[in-house]
Amino acid sequence: MKNLTKKRPAFNWTAFLVLLLILEFVIFGGTNAKFLKPALLMTSANDFLPICIISIFVTFVMITGGIDIQVASIIGLTSIIIGVAWQDFGLNIWAAVLVAILVAAAGGALSGFFVAYCGVQAMVVTLGGSFLYSGLALLVSTLSSTESYQGISGFPASFRWITKYKVFGVVPFQICIFLVLLVIAYLLLHKTKYGRKVFLVGVNQSAAEYSGINSRRIIMSTYILSAVSAAIAGVILTSYLGTAKSDLGSGLTMNIITAVVLGGTLSTGGKGSAIGTALAAIIIGLLRFGMPLCFKVNTQYLDIPIGVLLVVVVVGRSLAGNPNVIAKFAKMKERFKGGSAKSGSAEA
Amino acid sequence: MKKFLATLLAMTMTLSLAACGGGNDAPAEDNTGDSAEGGEVVSVEGKTVAFIPKLTGNAFFEVANEGAQEYAADWGITVEYMGNAVAGVAEQVAVVNQAVASGVDAICISTVDAAGVADALQAAMEAGIAVCTWDSDANVEDRALMVSQGTPEVLGQMLVDLSVEGLKARGVDPDNDAVNYAWHYSQATVTDQNSWQVEGEKIIKEKYPNWVNVQPDNYYSEQDAEKSITVGEAVLSAHPDIDLIICNDSTALPGQLQAAENKGLTKDDVTITGFATPNAVKQYCTNGTIHNWGLWDCKIQGAMGCYVAAYLAAGNTVKVGDVISIPGLGDCEVMANDCLAAGVSTADTNNGVVLLPERAVFNAENMDNYNF
Amino acid sequence: MNKTKKIFKAREMTSFLFLMGLFIIVGILNPSFMSVNNVAACFNTSVVYTLVAVGMAFTIFVGEIDVSVGSNLGFVATVVGSLLRDGANWGFAFTVGIIIGVIIGLINGWGVAIMKVPSLIFTLGTNGILRGMMYIYTGGAWVENLPKSFKDFSAVTLIGKFTVYYCCAVILVVLIHMALTRTRRGRYFWAVGDNAGGAELVGIPVVRTKVMAYVICGILSAAAGIIFCSRIGFVTSASGNGYEMKAVAACVLGGISLTGGVGTVIGAAIGAVIMASISYLLVFMGFSSNYDNAITGIILITIVVFDALMQRRAAVKNRRARLVARTAAGTAKEAGE
Repeated sequence: MKNLTKKRPAFNWTAFLVLLLILEFVIFGGTNAKFLKPALLMTSANDFLPICIISIFVTFVMITGGIDIQVASIIGLTSIIIGVAWQDFGLNIWAAVLVAILVAAAGGALSGFFVAYCGVQAMVVTLGGSFLYSGLALLVSTLSSTESYQGISGFPASFRWITKYKVFGVVPFQICIFLVLLVIAYLLLHKTKYGRKVFLVGVNQSAAEYSGINSRRIIMSTYILSAVSAAIAGVILTSYLGTAKSDLGSGLTMNIITAVVLGGTLSTGGKGSAIGTALAAIIIGLLRFGMPLCFKVNTQYLDIPIGVLLVVVVVGRSLAGNPNVIAKFAKMKERFKGGSAKSGSAEA
Repeated sequence: MKKFLATLLAMTMTLSLAACGGGNDAPAEDNTGDSAEGGEVVSVEGKTVAFIPKLTGNAFFEVANEGAQEYAADWGITVEYMGNAVAGVAEQVAVVNQAVASGVDAICISTVDAAGVADALQAAMEAGIAVCTWDSDANVEDRALMVSQGTPEVLGQMLVDLSVEGLKARGVDPDNDAVNYAWHYSQATVTDQNSWQVEGEKIIKEKYPNWVNVQPDNYYSEQDAEKSITVGEAVLSAHPDIDLIICNDSTALPGQLQAAENKGLTKDDVTITGFATPNAVKQYCTNGTIHNWGLWDCKIQGAMGCYVAAYLAAGNTVKVGDVISIPGLGDCEVMANDCLAAGVSTADTNNGVVLLPERAVFNAENMDNYNF
Repeated sequence: MNKTKKIFKAREMTSFLFLMGLFIIVGILNPSFMSVNNVAACFNTSVVYTLVAVGMAFTIFVGEIDVSVGSNLGFVATVVGSLLRDGANWGFAFTVGIIIGVIIGLINGWGVAIMKVPSLIFTLGTNGILRGMMYIYTGGAWVENLPKSFKDFSAVTLIGKFTVYYCCAVILVVLIHMALTRTRRGRYFWAVGDNAGGAELVGIPVVRTKVMAYVICGILSAAAGIIFCSRIGFVTSASGNGYEMKAVAACVLGGISLTGGVGTVIGAAIGAVIMASISYLLVFMGFSSNYDNAITGIILITIVVFDALMQRRAAVKNRRARLVARTAAGTAKEAGE
């Protein structure tokens, strides 16, 4: 499986995602012209921006062969730390933001340390992390004079500016932040030594180690990166909503993982691209926005089109992308039959 | 790859430019078109209302939707139930934006967090959409009317009353006996349930100082049915002498009751009460596990919310003291906002509170009269 | 002698010790916990997780993963629940439930083994589809008022304080374990996960084994859905949400490696007890509920980190022992190896 996907260059997949995105614009736009209104598109983008931001950095983690399911809880932790530090400890709002990002980075470093230096399975460490950080968020919220179930609001205008300001009067500033982060992620992953090391570690950790790469430090750093990206998303979300709550973003885990894998990142590591993930996140976000708008699909049923998209896209890719697969499929079918017949006789 | 990105960008831009030329603000047109002059009631027919719950898949909200849909057919309005399975502020803001984008005439929302949805609701009003709330309120300046089931104080009082009645029914004297009790609901971050708990707790501290809360920070089961039973069983085992468990969550109540049944306890051993739809609890009542529980008619509340939203969207204006007559449901009076919380001002027009007729207490005798 | 030593060295024994350690800690914090009733309740409450985790273990053995188990469970619970509510025959409803499980397993197996789609993506996809289908089937409403006799069955105890369901689950796990370790085809699952290419070379039907793993996983998740109905008595539309992650965690706590080829179903079952009983134990610990999530996270991380460090120490020790043996025995033995 690994070989098959490796043979095809990443370029194709990205091209395919771009095609898919254009298709979305054509279909949704054709059905309901409103979909193409920039103002509408931008507000809808605001709502799935956190997924875009986080998933491009979770891509780093997954390229090293890990997974990070604690990022969603870090959003809430960041948000509530900002709120409590600002409101109850009287910190300057930007100092509060800095503290929150540092705490998030420490959280990422802790999980990354366990994964990289203790060899614990990433999925479980970060699952534990998701409990731990959402628990911490709740504890932080109890420090506040505001009850945990109420959001901390009333942030200064300068903080709300992050998401209120519109570049050229149309593009929300947060989208610019996302684009900048995307460029950083792209350069970091595909144009620097660091990025090459990330890929190498994912392909073969011991080989990377033998070639003089400190693979453990690389692995740990990816978890810090994803945690910091989650913190940035937390800051943006807090500013956008104007309220700091400990459970902000708690439902995003599956969406983030979905965006990363649809973006062409191999869950076993070694392959993936920042652009692919960003495209996939946008495709899913627009699908969530466009389906109800243009086809009156009830928001509750949106899991189905996204599931179908995932399955159809990946199966179609494995079918159409390589004619060998079809031949192999037929051969395998025969072997499957032969195998069952053989074992049947063995039992008799 | 750059080429592809460039093409993509170019495509998007041309397409959106083309769309800009064509489209117009549809919802804005709607609202300015037919303003009611001189007390004439404009028919709500043909209006589309986005009915937004805190989360989907919760019995309470599903039932409210059922009610709204039933009445909507008679009134000739379209109710679109839009929600997210996660009760999060960010998720709900996305749903509100979605509703605005799809050009509904009115929004009727039960907010997850008043401050969090404020901007989104303001944007909706700017787009000419009538915004009303039900069940859980927004900031008063972000909405027109609120269809309220009562204040947190009223509901906290109701929970305490239900408890007292259940205790009395099995021979416990709530005024003098030491009553061990606990709260069991969804989680610490949910707004409404916590506000009822806070108010209920206040009343208990004041009126029944002889009661002992065995876990002042409550038990939470996160609306996970299985967890509600596990936690329920653990609470009953860890506190064998517990007298009262208040479950102000529609998953926690049946879960706690099931846990009691699993341990062979009945309403004569421990009093369990709270808020849940009648259908979810009927069976436990038949089994003799619960004495009484309560809720308000959320079916009617949902329908009322949608009607008043459509009523305003149709161009009708209301002032405090006005009466809105809802076909099939009766008349209701618009009251000032300060009937919910003291000191809150009310705008001159199109702002206020509509109180739901009544809250209901269910027990073995009357539960079969309700079907939701 | 040798056998008992082997049992204590077995990886799932460590998990069992973790579980006992957890019980003892809670017992120290709150002595009233130490009763047969409470310990049995911890096991009984884990029956649904046990089945899901054992199913998940199969897919992990073959080097894949199935994150659709939660919505599989939820969907089956909804269908079986509504059938029973509407007065269907028990046997019929159960059969329908299991058939759904088989179909889901076949679809996942087809996608992963035959179409060679990375399992995480494919099962994420089926997960979403099933979750959506569940909403469509119920229209978002809950399935309530299941037959009393069906619900009451969940409280029936068989051995001591253990419920019929848990006893059946234990017997099932032991049988599966024996089938896996004592038969040639049972060992295929590990062989495939350990080295799919190598397994194919020695004539193991890799594709069929993977499909089998998914079908077994589907069936066990479906069975968990049926028991879920009986234990809970009502089916919410969020049923099964998030169970996939907890099942994976249960597997890892039970000593199963996510890279495939290592671990046992008994380990998964023990891990499931740890995962399921945490919320029960937290009530007895008596801390403020605000600490619940943080404590859960700390327990999870502590166990897996401690376990990983122990494994590594054992590996280093083994290597050193081997090195010592080699240098002592000279070259003759090395040639034999």
